[in-house]
Amino acid sequence: MTHETLALPVRSLPRLNWPSFQGANRLLTNGHVRAALAILVPILLLTIFRPLLPLPGPLETNLRGMMQPPSFEHPFGTDRMGRDLMSRTLAGVQISIFVGFAVAMVALCVGLIMGTLAGFFGGIVDRVMMAITDIFLAFPSLLLAIGLVSVMGTGMLPVVLAISLSDVPRFIRLQRSLVLSLRTRAYIDAARTVKASQFWLMTRHIVPNTIAPLLVATSIAAANAILVEAGLSFLGLGIMPPAPSLGNLIRDGQSYLEQAWWISTLPGIVILLIAIGLHFLSDGIRQVLDPRSRK
Amino acid sequence: MLTYSLKRLVQLFFTTLGVVTLVFFTMRMIPGDPISAMAGDNLSGAALDRLREQMGLNESILMQYLRYLGGLAVLDFGNTVTTKLPIVQLILDALPITVAIAIGTIVLTVLIAIPLGTLAAYLAHKGHRMLDNVVTGFAMVLDLMPSFWTSLVCLLIFSLALGWFPASGTVSIDDPVGLLRRIALPVLVLSMAQVATLARITRTSVLEVLSEDYVRTARSMGWSELRVLFRHALKNAALPIVTVIGLSFGNLLNGTVIVEFIFTLPGIGNLLVGGINSRDYQMVQTLILFYALIFVVINFATDLVYRIFDPRVQF
Repeated sequence: MTHETLALPVRSLPRLNWPSFQGANRLLTNGHVRAALAILVPILLLTIFRPLLPLPGPLETNLRGMMQPPSFEHPFGTDRMGRDLMSRTLAGVQISIFVGFAVAMVALCVGLIMGTLAGFFGGIVDRVMMAITDIFLAFPSLLLAIGLVSVMGTGMLPVVLAISLSDVPRFIRLQRSLVLSLRTRAYIDAARTVKASQFWLMTRHIVPNTIAPLLVATSIAAANAILVEAGLSFLGLGIMPPAPSLGNLIRDGQSYLEQAWWISTLPGIVILLIAIGLHFLSDGIRQVLDPRSRK
Repeated sequence: MLTYSLKRLVQLFFTTLGVVTLVFFTMRMIPGDPISAMAGDNLSGAALDRLREQMGLNESILMQYLRYLGGLAVLDFGNTVTTKLPIVQLILDALPITVAIAIGTIVLTVLIAIPLGTLAAYLAHKGHRMLDNVVTGFAMVLDLMPSFWTSLVCLLIFSLALGWFPASGTVSIDDPVGLLRRIALPVLVLSMAQVATLARITRTSVLEVLSEDYVRTARSMGWSELRVLFRHALKNAALPIVTVIGLSFGNLLNGTVIVEFIFTLPGIGNLLVGGINSRDYQMVQTLILFYALIFVVINFATDLVYRIFDPRVQF
């Protein structure tokens, strides 16, 4: 048999496409995804167009308007230095979104590559990688982040790195288990019998089929990263004042709970809304991309 | 079973060694060395050198590492840099508070989550989609509320507005009533986050069991719904529930750090935050290690319990 005759079955194998426009359409008609968008899009728009809103800047102090309750002029009230809290909250959301996105991308990319290699090649690569992830997974996530931040210092980059480091092992584990379950499927054997290269198998047959569960996990990781960043900033170990982050806004209000309840409570509701939105999004992606849950 | 346990124990040992090594070398990555970071500009060069000498920082990194391992083997974690007290003593003093919070949280969580999850499963089984959605949706919101925010809201409502619980004050394990009053709110806050996870897994596993033949048999024998639900269904759904209680222990530890900080409870979480703020790296290193060890041991125990009680698990 020559290579020419073998070329036919390769082409007639079912082609697995990366998520396409058709998928996007299915996503947009899903109830959970719509609920997620209904929550996330307004928050996103407000954050992007904050400079156009009739609000003072997030760092602008006004000593004649300190600790004012929510009003038409200041929808979230003002803090002890008279800064407008809606403006500060939206600036905090900007940081949250950045942290959530950055952590999710780092975890997704590193997890995808390392997990695929570990699951696909097995053997010593797999064992070393599993031993390393075991060590990282031995730390409760927030405590790992606290430990790393205490070494790397505060600020945006250390926070993103610290949170990513506790998420990456989880993604490696997830991707590895997905690859392991796909590796023995009949269609992979079929591709092997026609001498598909290892690289071809991985990129065309295995990775595309792991994208759906990975996207579900990514959206949850983003929500989680936003919560952990807020927790770190609340403890005074994340984004440092005067830069507003949702966590340190809540921390600021802690001492004035009795006089000014709005300082701590309103930014917290925004964090909660973002987290709920991202979880709806992950539920929606799961429903749309999992063939078994399709009607 | 025995060989499996031994195998896991060996694995546990190597993971722990890895954890210790990681913590040690990460702490050594601090720019400069711990001494100059801790002392700031307050000490002269000669005094710094003396301190380095005392802490063995002049030796090679490998010697320091071996010395550190040797210390750990006899539970000697060194002294804090600021107050010169032995760290072991500080941890042992703070531990009861944290343990009290953790146990309280687990008890309250189980008391709320299991009936709630069983109810949701029952409603789903009977086709009450709407009510089931309400219960599961409620659980999701509870799960996603950041615990530091929930703490402040609870403080606002229960301490400041209603005055039911003190927001601050001294805590001691010798005064159980006072202790309970002080840890009531933190326990409530942490339970709210834990309830969601446990209720969800209870719902899933009870729902699965409810369509089994033996549940139908029990019903056909005329047992009341409650008895069927709790005696037959819940009992057989218990294993995943116990496992999840063990696995969510990491989240619980995360949570104790936050609530101890907010409610100013002198547990090991507060010790950790204090250690970071006073740049006491020896302390931070020991505490992070300590948390990791607790977590690893709990996971190990959960795994064993699971395997002991589920006859279907193969060795």
